[in-house]
Amino acid sequence: MKTSRRNFIRTGVMAAAAAPALAAWPASLPKAADQQPSDRQPAPEFTGPGANPYWTSPGQFATYPQKAPLILLTDRPVQLETPRPYFLSTFTPNEAFFVRWHLQTIPNAVDLKEWRLHVEGNVERPLTLSFPELVTRFKSASVAAVNQCSGNSRSRLQPRVAGGQWGNGAMGNAAWTGAKLRDILDAAGVKSGSVQVQFEGLDRGLGPKGYGSNRFMKSLDLTNPVIDECLVAFAMNDEPLPMLNGFPARLIVPGYFATYWLKSLSSIRVLDTPDDNFWMKAAYRIPDTPRGNTTPDGMKSGKVATVPIAKMPVRSFLISPDGSMKIPAGFPLRLRGIAFSGYGGIKRVEASTENGANWSEARLGPDAGEYSFRTWSLDWTPKTAGRYQLAVRATDTKGNVQPDEGVWNPGGYLWNKIERQEIVVGEAS
Amino acid sequence: MRARKWYFAAVTGLSILAARVVYADFRAGYYTPTGPETIPQMLPNVASTDATYDAGQYPIYYPELAAGDGKDDVENNCELCHSPRYITMQPVMPAQAWSDEVNKMRKTFGASIPDDTAQKIIQYLGSHYTPETRKR
Repeated sequence: MKTSRRNFIRTGVMAAAAAPALAAWPASLPKAADQQPSDRQPAPEFTGPGANPYWTSPGQFATYPQKAPLILLTDRPVQLETPRPYFLSTFTPNEAFFVRWHLQTIPNAVDLKEWRLHVEGNVERPLTLSFPELVTRFKSASVAAVNQCSGNSRSRLQPRVAGGQWGNGAMGNAAWTGAKLRDILDAAGVKSGSVQVQFEGLDRGLGPKGYGSNRFMKSLDLTNPVIDECLVAFAMNDEPLPMLNGFPARLIVPGYFATYWLKSLSSIRVLDTPDDNFWMKAAYRIPDTPRGNTTPDGMKSGKVATVPIAKMPVRSFLISPDGSMKIPAGFPLRLRGIAFSGYGGIKRVEASTENGANWSEARLGPDAGEYSFRTWSLDWTPKTAGRYQLAVRATDTKGNVQPDEGVWNPGGYLWNKIERQEIVVGEAS
Repeated sequence: MRARKWYFAAVTGLSILAARVVYADFRAGYYTPTGPETIPQMLPNVASTDATYDAGQYPIYYPELAAGDGKDDVENNCELCHSPRYITMQPVMPAQAWSDEVNKMRKTFGASIPDDTAQKIIQYLGSHYTPETRKR
């Protein structure tokens, strides 16, 4: 007893003499029961009927070949969502790029001795291009372009609609390099009377022939100016495409939703009649209304005409802070995120720390091209503790501004409402 | 001498108190015994120099479907073309919406599911995956 007390005193004196060593001292004191750190809990599954409250789909992580852990939506066909922190940069790493296939029989391996890109249909000279021919025969071009699933953010819709329940992570930006589609078409010689060009990849489904569950094909009008901007890309961020993102080559359609960006491309078919396959005639169509907006009753009336989905409306996202931890009052924060538009580049990004009551113009990051993500940042120091509703909205070079209203259509497409993020600022002293 | 001891004790005690105030109350060294499962890292897949580019097989993450009549019919029919995650991923939907989905699979996508089996699947989904009935 006496000894231990003396030791205690000695320890205390030593500690008092060496103030820095004291930093470790309180941690070794007995901890009261009410001092336990909080238990971390996995985010609960959320299936509605309300809107998904999470930034991404509330699923679990999974690893796939060539991929960092991504958020699992479905395993057959594969649908994987990119976690939020990967969007801090202009370019999304290939390892983190989202994955979405329509049919279950997708390539695991491709033998480049056998793989050919067929250019066929209503052309003067059908082509059968090997991988080296694709790489060397045409002058390569590069474009930075956002690839976004038509149903990105589908889990926000009210009422909820069936389909891939993506949060915001069914998008990515990459530097794509490949042959120009126009050069390939010119080499084959498009015959007069042609109306569309159809694309198909190596993926196949187990449904019966003639159904959308058997083959996935998409077409673009030959009169569409985007044809001149399309690439058949063999490189993604200066690397071969990951198998799950369409090795060895995929179509790049800058400004357009990802449904047209056919993966593991094997056929380019020039058509002399409009494509009436399921994926053009029935799927991926939007109401021919402002913003593609309608209602369940409107659809039931049968009076809503539809058109194929096309360009991506302007969107912006706050990536950091993400609300995962409190921020101390007085901390000099830098709000950071990305913005993009399929209608051309980003003109302006504004952020609000007052739920949209007031807006401040953000600084735009480097411009990698009109179809790329554009990073933005805004410095802000929250002075007092409290809950803050941050919001971000972008304006594109065509003057389109993100609306503060959601959208509803049966496919769950075209969501571009102003994004919000609550952050909690704690007392700092 | 005795007074000197008390002096030291007082200074020490105050120092400890001061340390708590100055260096803050923080919590350290707590670990929870059961966390989420770990995910293995994978080996590179570069076995040969031939022209085959092989990413390997894709993993299946089989979900837990609700137990009940019709589960077998889901497994024997729906899973031909897609994983049952296409069911468990969906938001809760009214029974009518599930009926529409099953009929879309048959008519639009050509799934050859006999009428009575389709009815059992519709019954199953409407019994376990609506706002009122979904468990998790």
